Amino acid sequence: MYNSVKKYFKVLVLATAAQGLFASTAYAQDPGHYGLGRIATEEEIAGWDIDVRPDGLGLPEGSGSVSVGEGLYEAQCASCHGLFGEGEGRWPILAGGYDTLTDDRPQKTVGSYWPYASTLWDYTRRAMPFTAPQSLTVDETYAITAYVLYLNELVEDDFVLTKENFLTVEMPNADGFFHDDRPDVKNKACMKDCKDPASIKVISTIAGVSPTEHLEEGAEEESAGEAVNEHGKQVYKQSCAVCHDHGVAGAPKTGEADAWTDRIATGIDTLAKRANEGYMGDAGMMPPKGGNMSLSDEDVTAAVEYMVEQSQ
Amino acid sequence: MKVKAKMKKDMAVVKLLAKHPMETGLRKDKKTDKVIPAKYIQELICKHGDKVVFEANFGRAVSKNPYVSFSFAGAKKGDALELSWADNTGETLVVDAVIK
Repeated sequence: MYNSVKKYFKVLVLATAAQGLFASTAYAQDPGHYGLGRIATEEEIAGWDIDVRPDGLGLPEGSGSVSVGEGLYEAQCASCHGLFGEGEGRWPILAGGYDTLTDDRPQKTVGSYWPYASTLWDYTRRAMPFTAPQSLTVDETYAITAYVLYLNELVEDDFVLTKENFLTVEMPNADGFFHDDRPDVKNKACMKDCKDPASIKVISTIAGVSPTEHLEEGAEEESAGEAVNEHGKQVYKQSCAVCHDHGVAGAPKTGEADAWTDRIATGIDTLAKRANEGYMGDAGMMPPKGGNMSLSDEDVTAAVEYMVEQSQ
Repeated sequence: MKVKAKMKKDMAVVKLLAKHPMETGLRKDKKTDKVIPAKYIQELICKHGDKVVFEANFGRAVSKNPYVSFSFAGAKKGDALELSWADNTGETLVVDAVIK
């Protein structure tokens, strides 16, 4: 107990001291923030902000020729990408593949697929060579870019690529892309005259497992018309059918109109009362609720109604 | 056809990529269901001066855009090479190269 208190105390002191230190330096530089970090210098931003865009924005001053690029390419790139850009082993193919984009196995290369030469320049400087990324100088990057364009037969062998003529390079697949302006989702939020929320049902179904017939339009009314007294039928089958199906112990058989004519004449209420409370007739005895006292009066009445329906 | 020829010690190393479809004549066009006619390089020759230093007899089994590499003795830097291929349809191509 004592130990933990002591530790806590020490940490607290340290934290307070550190906070004070930060506060004294950072607040002095940049009041209004939380005393964390500092503003990046222009040099730091320049080292980080190296992207080159399709319109040439971000390209530094410099130049490189195809012939210089050839030497650099063969020394630094060809071991993976192949002497002619054909790709060694499974390394990326850089050249060729024209008119294969609609094939079963399209060959996507700088020449056949890439829409902008700036991507080639940016990627080469940013990520290549694979073993030593960002080790190429600006002029070397221009030269290698020029040579890869030459491998794709997009420029001649005496071409010198510079910041100024960069945009004159025409990429064969520049028009092969389009802006996808479809919305993220098809569902538009309804703001007025919307569907009544009470009428919206959320239904989850498993294809091929959940029954969905009842969801089809018109199916519901049809089934409702057929089964008039579904509840009564169920109670009947459960508790009444044992006698009334076969006329056991003088019970009138369901569906036998002759046996029922006189009984129906006494009225449905009388029949329901007799069934609920029990009845001693000429033919035999009806026990209260058919002997199943767990049934409610309504259950029995429904069953009686069902039997009458079936026996008319 | 792209060619690179270089002297390495006393040997000339030649690497070439012949741009050619190398159709076997056994493939069917999936859309039209018709056989794509055969078109493949049958003979590839490299001449150093008047002397044939390399000759290849290709068949249907060679892949599209064949890549060939070979070396030979008796050449020096700056020598001219003449490379050529002829395919089964009678088409030919001749390319000149210089050993670097």
